[in-house]
Amino acid sequence: MAEVSAQTQAPEGEAKGRFNRFDNPWLNPKLLWGIGILLGIVLLGLIGRMLWNTELVFTGSTPLRLPPVGFENLRGQPGEAAFPLGTDGAGRDLLALLIIGAPNTLMIGAVASLIGMTTGIILGFSAGFIGGRTDDVIRILSDVMITIPPLLILVVFQSVYGDVSLLLMAFLIAGFMWQSPTRLIRAQVLSMRESGYVKMAQLSGASTAHIMFREMLPNLIPYLFGSFIANVTTAIVTAVGLEVLGLGPQRIPTLGRVIYDAINSGALIQNLWWWWGLPTALLAVMFIALLLINLGLDEISNPRLRKI
Amino acid sequence: MPVLQLTDICIDFPTTKGVVHAVSKLNLTIEPGRRVGFIGESGSGKTTTALSVMRMLAGSGHVSSGTIRLGADETDVLALSDEEMRKTRLKRVSYIPQGAMNSLNPIMRIEHQLWDAIIAHEGKVARDELKRRSDEALESVGLSGHTGRLYPHELSGGMKQRVCIALGVILRPELIIADEPTSALDVVTQRQVMQTLKDVQSGIGSALILIGHDMGLMAQSVDELAVLKNGELVEIGSVRQIIEDPQHPYTQQLISSVPLVGGESFLDDTVGAPPIKRSDSGHPLMEFQGVRKDYGDVTAVHPMSFKLDGEKPKIISIVGQSGSGKSTMGGIMLGFTPPSQGKVMFEGQDVYRMGPSATLEFRKNVQAVFQDPYACFNPFYRVNHALKFPYKRFGLAESDAQVEAKMAEACEAVGLDPAIVLHRFPHELSGGQRQRLIVARALMLSPKLLIADEPVSMVDASLRATILKNIYDLKDRYGISILYITHDLATAYHVSDYVIVLFHGRVAEAGPPKQVIGDPQHPYTRMLIDAIPWPDLKRPWGADPAEDARRMEEVRGHTETIFRGEVPGFELSTGGEMRMAAE
Repeated sequence: MAEVSAQTQAPEGEAKGRFNRFDNPWLNPKLLWGIGILLGIVLLGLIGRMLWNTELVFTGSTPLRLPPVGFENLRGQPGEAAFPLGTDGAGRDLLALLIIGAPNTLMIGAVASLIGMTTGIILGFSAGFIGGRTDDVIRILSDVMITIPPLLILVVFQSVYGDVSLLLMAFLIAGFMWQSPTRLIRAQVLSMRESGYVKMAQLSGASTAHIMFREMLPNLIPYLFGSFIANVTTAIVTAVGLEVLGLGPQRIPTLGRVIYDAINSGALIQNLWWWWGLPTALLAVMFIALLLINLGLDEISNPRLRKI
Repeated sequence: MPVLQLTDICIDFPTTKGVVHAVSKLNLTIEPGRRVGFIGESGSGKTTTALSVMRMLAGSGHVSSGTIRLGADETDVLALSDEEMRKTRLKRVSYIPQGAMNSLNPIMRIEHQLWDAIIAHEGKVARDELKRRSDEALESVGLSGHTGRLYPHELSGGMKQRVCIALGVILRPELIIADEPTSALDVVTQRQVMQTLKDVQSGIGSALILIGHDMGLMAQSVDELAVLKNGELVEIGSVRQIIEDPQHPYTQQLISSVPLVGGESFLDDTVGAPPIKRSDSGHPLMEFQGVRKDYGDVTAVHPMSFKLDGEKPKIISIVGQSGSGKSTMGGIMLGFTPPSQGKVMFEGQDVYRMGPSATLEFRKNVQAVFQDPYACFNPFYRVNHALKFPYKRFGLAESDAQVEAKMAEACEAVGLDPAIVLHRFPHELSGGQRQRLIVARALMLSPKLLIADEPVSMVDASLRATILKNIYDLKDRYGISILYITHDLATAYHVSDYVIVLFHGRVAEAGPPKQVIGDPQHPYTRMLIDAIPWPDLKRPWGADPAEDARRMEEVRGHTETIFRGEVPGFELSTGGEMRMAAE
């Protein structure tokens, strides 16, 4: 230990510069990879829309059940370059479906999680800082809500409502996304309130707002990010779950919707693997990217996890 | 045959910033039945060396060269398989961790935890036999067999530490490693626990490695002493030789940095600038009017009143064991803990009934240094935030350049290089540096009153004197009155003008330090002073449980405060209700 402190105290310009570059915890490979993959999926949606004909998502716009390029389907038809990822049983182009569907799925997750987190921050800080009756109400409410299985309620809700828009679906899912951030932030605020630096800030004559937002909130940032990403994952799983059950938006292509159609048309039996396989693979990539981001953030907020 | 032979041990920790050599070329031999102390400051490699014997180094640490041979058969510890190593731990080498408070499983009964140890090494053992052995182990550390049925939270700190010792000796190992086993305990309990450890160890005839940084405790507890610094063994010898004739300058420094009651002062008495007259209102600076604090049924502070005028700055020490109510008093004075009864006045204004602007003025004038230098800085900001923010908040700042200059000046006053320290993050500084920065902060704000709550108890022994000196300078050079809250009577003796000894929220004895600590009259003060371990081999220190119990009885029976003389500018009285009624 002594050696390290001796090293860092030496004011050598060159060594210091090198340290700074490699020491920046935000340049975490896991985090960078995760963000890279997610950006790739978003770019696929943006650039794809410009380069590819998105009209191909409609029924009957292409030949039926064509395999991806380089493969043959059961009827011996080879894939065509015009439809590189093949087509589904109703004559929709899979590449076009993925281009439109993947960003939609991501968006539901992000919007639902964002609303959930914002609610969580407000409720968590109120509960932890104000305490008393406010704390009781918020705590009991979130504890009760956390025991209700979201899918059950959503299934009932959506089957009654019929067709829903993407945004409405995001809002519905957000209703089940705020409980865990609320509890997490409340716990953190409670422990931080007793910490030395908050006492020091009080001694320095800091206002309550200053203590909450300038002293406490910055230290919560890694938790908030982590919790946000975890919630995006949960929201996507919930959304895809509903869509695969056929309860998602009816007219807007999403990854879950494509899988629902594939299952419904017996794609598994007819060995139309690209139909259900490609959206599933894309979802898997998405989850891996989110997981990488989460692991990266974990390492940033907890230096002990960093590799030597 | 020696119990342990370390030959040319090197221990490395690879990190992102290169390999840290925690221990280099260390040679040591321990004979059976001997007690060997490892002393050095944090980061000196003492715990690392001891843990390497159990192959329990943290994270990436490993023994890069050298051999460790254990016991008469000279087992090569580094060559053992994992399973053999598991069997060696506790059976042949046991470890009593630092902070035993957190080392017991909170959801298991004590005896089950002891049984686990036996079963892990001997397989299936009959229940009666387990019970007999756990009771025996508990009795050997002075606990009744009934303790075994309890859960850890039902025990006091000292009892938990004894349980950990029982766990360490239940398999009668050849070597016991005790890592600062008493660091979390107060002096009275420390003495009892150390006595227990020594008795048990000599009872089973094993060797003991005692790790610590308190030279006094070492002098009273071990036969041989190894002094470590930066991973190197700088000196080793019998404790008598080390204490009476230390060779290495570092050892000499360690010994001389232990403050003694009545000994030579470590403070520089040449006063710099004369104290400045700061009070102008005619009201006392800080006044308690019959203040009492209850937590539920427990009275943390019994009614007391005092008046501290700010005419001439002075240091008032409040001493006592943990739970004596001394930190509660600090909290009350800072306006954090409203008293259950009575009033706290600052320059004639009630601290708990101030408007926003008066509160700001109060904050500006009453500052604090807390115990834990690690928690006092927000990890999100560079350390200068803690200095800059209050300075601006209190309207003292004129320009950014002036703030910078002021910060640099304050850092230099406490012996820190502002260029190196100010723009770092808290985790890049050592505990001592941080604590000095907090003192610099107080200096920069130059309050009228500073509450220093155990400012040096978490800092390495070698730095304590420096930091206390910094705090002492605040009084002399900057005219700041200080309330020094501590459990350490020796430092209180040297720095203070007036000492208040608290026992269970009551003032046991109060007066100038020369009388109260130099010549204690109250049984409690006497007990505290006798329990301080000094690096003086002639002084008897060991504890006798019966004698301790008798003295505790005496202390409990003696609830009257003994006043030992006055100091101008400070008045203390107890039993505030009567006083309030008279007014």
